[in-house]
Amino acid sequence: MKRVLNTVLLIVFVITLNFIIFELMPGTQASISNLVQNPRVFDPTQVARLLKLYNFCKEVTITGPHSYNCVPTTIWDRFSAYFVNMITFNFGDSFQTNKPVLHDMIQTGRLVNTLTLLGVATTVALLIGTLLGVVAAAKRGSIFDSGSVTLSLITFSLPTFWMGLLFIMIFANRLQLFPSGGVTPAYWAIKTPDLLGQFLTRVQYLFLPALTLTLFFYGGNLLLTRATMTEALSEDYINTARAKGLPERTVLFKHALKNASLPLVTNAALSFGGLLGGAIITETVFNWDGLGFWLFNAIGWKDYPVMQAMFFIIALCVIAANFISDIFYGILDPRIKYE
Amino acid sequence: MSENTSVPYSLVRFKRFFFNLLRNKKSAAGLTLLSIFVFIAVAGPLLTPYTPLGSVVSAQLNPPSWIVYFTGPLGWSQNAEFTGIKASSITGATLTTTSIGGDSASFSAASGASGGTVEVQKFVTWTYPGPAKRFVTSLSITPGPTILGQTVIATVYLDRFVGGVRDARWNIFDKTIDSNSTFEVNLDSISGDLRVRLGLSTSNIDPAQLIFSRQADYAYALELTLPPSANIDFSLQNFKLQIRGSTWGWLGTDQAGHDILTQLIYGARLSLIVGLLATFIGVGLGLVVGLIAGYLGRIVDEVLMRFTDMMLVIPGLPLLIVLVNVLGPSLTNIILVLGFLGWMGFARVVRSQVLSLRERPFIEAAKASGAGTGYITLRHILPNVVSLTYVNLALSVPAAIVGEAALSFLGLGDQTSVTWGRMLELARESGGSATNLFWWWVIPPGIGIALVSLSFILIGFSLDELFNPRLRRRR
Repeated sequence: MKRVLNTVLLIVFVITLNFIIFELMPGTQASISNLVQNPRVFDPTQVARLLKLYNFCKEVTITGPHSYNCVPTTIWDRFSAYFVNMITFNFGDSFQTNKPVLHDMIQTGRLVNTLTLLGVATTVALLIGTLLGVVAAAKRGSIFDSGSVTLSLITFSLPTFWMGLLFIMIFANRLQLFPSGGVTPAYWAIKTPDLLGQFLTRVQYLFLPALTLTLFFYGGNLLLTRATMTEALSEDYINTARAKGLPERTVLFKHALKNASLPLVTNAALSFGGLLGGAIITETVFNWDGLGFWLFNAIGWKDYPVMQAMFFIIALCVIAANFISDIFYGILDPRIKYE
Repeated sequence: MSENTSVPYSLVRFKRFFFNLLRNKKSAAGLTLLSIFVFIAVAGPLLTPYTPLGSVVSAQLNPPSWIVYFTGPLGWSQNAEFTGIKASSITGATLTTTSIGGDSASFSAASGASGGTVEVQKFVTWTYPGPAKRFVTSLSITPGPTILGQTVIATVYLDRFVGGVRDARWNIFDKTIDSNSTFEVNLDSISGDLRVRLGLSTSNIDPAQLIFSRQADYAYALELTLPPSANIDFSLQNFKLQIRGSTWGWLGTDQAGHDILTQLIYGARLSLIVGLLATFIGVGLGLVVGLIAGYLGRIVDEVLMRFTDMMLVIPGLPLLIVLVNVLGPSLTNIILVLGFLGWMGFARVVRSQVLSLRERPFIEAAKASGAGTGYITLRHILPNVVSLTYVNLALSVPAAIVGEAALSFLGLGDQTSVTWGRMLELARESGGSATNLFWWWVIPPGIGIALVSLSFILIGFSLDELFNPRLRRRR
């Protein structure tokens, strides 16, 4: 119950923060009122819609092509309207396309693209990171151990976008093994190949961005697995398991890893925000038409509705991830009970 | 390592602490790396004569000069400049030179009954196996007042000499002069006029590639053809021709012909400034919040930590993007935003340390002697969390530097200054959706970011070991 309350409080906090940033900062208000006062750019219905959406005016009457009458609202009016809009996912229209933000997000396939990239990269990074971490902990002090730790430290400290650029330079431009960017080739608009061809091409396009994001993410995971596994391996029950004559693999994965996995779950949830940050950058580097690339384009367009929606949704995802990890925590470790 | 791992306050203790730090291999490596970067950042303008976005040093997108050691010298060239100014009479004129040298010459030319021609030349020996990539010329000429009522034809040529004999001549400019006001000629081989004049309008060969294509002696010549029986003074200034080769310096050039090494040096300066200032703000805020929450406890603690946790959950990069976008992408704003979003983790660490300190006997003793909250916090608690501050300072700088680089890369960097992130952004932008990336432009800034991060991480880790003997034993 306390968890749920906490989560609700967090969502309210995020919406408030969003409101403060976008409505109270001098830059935003100026630019929104600029847009509103510039009906040459937006047709009157659009203006009326914007004013209504942001609740800038209680009543709007458009008196001419370049002027309007407005009965201004108070901050509280605006906040409550904003709050309701956010909760109901009513984000308004994108300045770029004049279509509802939610439409641009889902119908254009951006959400699916991002989920694909994130899903593949996270799965691979978790698998590789955990596996290598377990092996490194089991062979502590060996060349494999120091090698994998060094490598993960390196990939951890290198800027993501730089790694992406290097991959493009090497694998796309020089070796021509993979395309340098995009989600699908342009010729698909004219002629789409059969399903297998589609799949293979998609994999080819996905490879470099997924590799970049994986390398960004697996290092921290490896280091954490290694640390918790080292601690778990020094426990008495491991000695017991070994003394029983259990195969080493069973000892490592069934006995040690199971007990060491608690911090891993928390970390996966906590680093989810960072992972989304990495995804934004990776998508930008590879022109991967997902939510991150969309946010990047929204920056250039000063597309505030899209930015607000993206920030809100990303924050919501992170909050959800934390909530889910809390629940998982209870399942993994029955000693922890939430009242 | 000595037993003394306490926090340095006095100079003597700082010295001992510093030597301890140097004795550790990791921190010695980190400190060495860092001092190199600090030196580069401080001495930046002394290390390079150019400015990062102002000076055009060579042709666009030139690879570094040392590329010849890998690809062989064929096809590559470097910059060259014409020197050795010389004035002479060609036909039917007598030339009296009043002064000559460098880029300027003053002379008077007197022609005979059938007119005459005088010539000013500068020379270069083109020794590179590859053709030049571009050239830029300049000259400004001021005739004396005796020119009025007469016309002089000024022609600019590029001559090629093989074995001392002229075997080719390109007419790159001509103009009839009839007034005594100064006129200037500035030619750039990239300009369309010159291409048309040399018959290259349909090809994509630069005139420089056509002219400076073989190893020979070249002359840059200004010919002045005088009318009959004239006696005119001329003052020639700024008589220069720079040939831009196809390689440049240590790290090559960018899209506009700027020196990448210079950008890297100035970038080191800005990246360090941004990283350090943002970290100071973040650590300072974290320290204050942690101390207040930990020592005051109760409601204050609850409120502050609840807020901290909320800020911790909010995804960092999207918030950074949104804030910088709203506030405007200036260096100050980026530093402030990075600082104000970087305090939460440290505040939590400080708070838990303060909570454990608060229960120690020496605090009770201080309380019993009548010390106030402020006094205890400043004199007894603060000194005991300073070691945490050092570690966190060192470990937060890389995050701030990478954060700034990421923002710049997303186009939210300060558009007027060159940081490493912005170099990468420019490199990507000029590559046109990343199909044309140039390694000499992409690799150096990334290595810079990685090495600075590495140096701070090494220092941070060894500080951690120094202050936490428990960690030392475990490793």
